[in-house]
Amino acid sequence: MGPKAIDVGRHPNIELLTYSEVEAVSGYVGNFSVKIRKKARYVDPEVCNSCNECAKVCPVVKPDEYQMGLGSRKAIYIPYPQAVPCSYILNMDDCLGTTPIACGKCADVCEQECIDYDDRDEIIERDVGAVIVAIGLDVYDPTELDDYGYTRFENVITSMEFERLICAGGPTAGHFIRPTDRERPKRIGFVQCVGSRNAAIGRPYCSNICCMNTIKDTLLLADHYPDLTNTVFYQDIRAFGKSFEDMFQRSKEAGTRYIRGLPGDIEEDPLTRNLLVTVENTTTGKLERHEFDMLVLSVGVIPPKDLAKISGLLTLSKTSDGFFLESHPKLKPIDAPTRGVYFAGFCESPKDIKDSVCQAGAAASRSGALLNAGQITVEAITSYIIEDACTKCGACASVCPYGAIIWEKGQFPVVVEAACAGCGCCGATCKSNAIVMRHFTDEQLIAQIRAILADKPEDKVFVFACNWCSYAGGDMAGISRIHYPSTNRVVRTMCSARVSEDMVLEAFRCGAPIVLVSGCHYADCHYINANRQTVKRVQRLWNKLDRLGIRPERLQLEWISAAEGQKFAKVMVQVEELRKKVTKEEIEQTIKALQEKPKKQRKAKSAKQTEASVSTP
Amino acid sequence: MTKKESFRCMMCGYEFEEPVEPGEDKERTCPMCRSNSIRHMKKRAVKDKTGESDE
Ligand SMILES: [Zn+2]
Repeated sequence: MGPKAIDVGRHPNIELLTYSEVEAVSGYVGNFSVKIRKKARYVDPEVCNSCNECAKVCPVVKPDEYQMGLGSRKAIYIPYPQAVPCSYILNMDDCLGTTPIACGKCADVCEQECIDYDDRDEIIERDVGAVIVAIGLDVYDPTELDDYGYTRFENVITSMEFERLICAGGPTAGHFIRPTDRERPKRIGFVQCVGSRNAAIGRPYCSNICCMNTIKDTLLLADHYPDLTNTVFYQDIRAFGKSFEDMFQRSKEAGTRYIRGLPGDIEEDPLTRNLLVTVENTTTGKLERHEFDMLVLSVGVIPPKDLAKISGLLTLSKTSDGFFLESHPKLKPIDAPTRGVYFAGFCESPKDIKDSVCQAGAAASRSGALLNAGQITVEAITSYIIEDACTKCGACASVCPYGAIIWEKGQFPVVVEAACAGCGCCGATCKSNAIVMRHFTDEQLIAQIRAILADKPEDKVFVFACNWCSYAGGDMAGISRIHYPSTNRVVRTMCSARVSEDMVLEAFRCGAPIVLVSGCHYADCHYINANRQTVKRVQRLWNKLDRLGIRPERLQLEWISAAEGQKFAKVMVQVEELRKKVTKEEIEQTIKALQEKPKKQRKAKSAKQTEASVSTP
Repeated sequence: MTKKESFRCMMCGYEFEEPVEPGEDKERTCPMCRSNSIRHMKKRAVKDKTGESDE
């Protein structure tokens, strides 16, 4: 990593801002404006020659975060040996005082005179065309799951701490010793999947890197200390990368014992401080006891703590495991749903160095292609505002998942077409019908509803299906030759959030016995989180139907993914069953209940839309 | 802050209670029939910031 970081620091076309934090991002693809806080370092990195004289005289000793607390640092320090820029930094929270009267020893000895106690944070702004999010990961904290005695037994350490203990640049200069007696351990146990693949603690995903990291560690130990015995407790060894299986075999050949089963109980021998591990070997089905000098917990990875902040700044969303949601898991794994934003590395999903490098290269290429083109093609399906009808309420701006509608109180909202992805949520939300969604106008959709239900509506189940998932789920059911009732009639919208309350009510007004609104699962929403508005809307409709004396069960909501042909068919069977229970009298009563309040407003609005759609771009 | 709230499956009619965390973003499924037609049986009408109301 060191040489790469140095290259970046020296590159004439790269401005490297370290010890800085993004405070705000505004704008859209090609036109982002980023506000950055450059934190005060109290040391001028341009002048500092890393002579270490300041650290020598600093009286403050603190645990070194880079050494996982196994070593110490001073209040003025270099964060890690190959840090770029290679300059000291003064941690003011640790420093004894900001005036030379309190301490000031470091400034006294600094020949370069590069220490400035009056340094302050600086806010800078940069205009950028694309953003690559590469905020990395955090490591699982095993204190949460104390089953393995991490907080109770000193000789139970994490894989990160182990890494520092065997590193030549580590706190022991690479001499491998155990914490309690500083002797070299002879029997090492590794416990896999600590904080990974554990639904009970809300982390059901595989962290991807831990198996290979442990295999690497066993090979390293076998190479350096042939007298040492290694035992690995695992659920499954996942060695699926290039040459990884070979490494796994070499580890076994080097004498590492692999025991399938995770320890159930760990005790410490009070005399020797050795660790006694009870484990059910799931291969033999027998309960075993093992004694180790040291136990290494192979800790998993978790989404970085700053992820929530960055998702707020860039309107990104998360998958159920907490990592960033990509534009498409298979076809656009580098792109964020927000145009002009790309992902690299762990923040998108757990991955090893090679995959991170691949993704980083791809993200650089994607943004390079975007910027070099100099222009972008906007989506054909975007929305625009009819100012004559707009009441300036701003509801559209509040529901846009992309922040593509700019609105200020008392002003007409403005759609930034470069940022609009075309979900149509704004159009369905607008109460005054002042938004037209190109190619999916209210007019067009209402016309489809009326045409479908013009003849024998009582025999039909009316379905709104989103383009990306449920409609494709219907296709999947078809190509998989799955049988389901032929009574359904589907209207496709780009997103389920495009379906307005009025469209659903219009279907009932036209005599639909059952209306189904279907969309993508939460994690799959192709418009970040637009389908959450669908849920809110359907919820309101259920309440409304109830009040009007219409059975709310006649409106159904389902999430069907493109792969769920089976589910699509199952739902069609279920809604057909519901349809059979709706009588003609019930339909007539519904039509009457809904016609009691004629929708003058809608008619007026659709007239405006027709006018506008004829005359607009 | 987590409190249990009532839900009703609009597909099979099953009623159940589930904890609801403030600001949660959770896809709900009927424990009986796996349907997503889950109606949140709130006591009072609520207004959200979109201005769309229960009324
Ligand atoms: Zn159900």
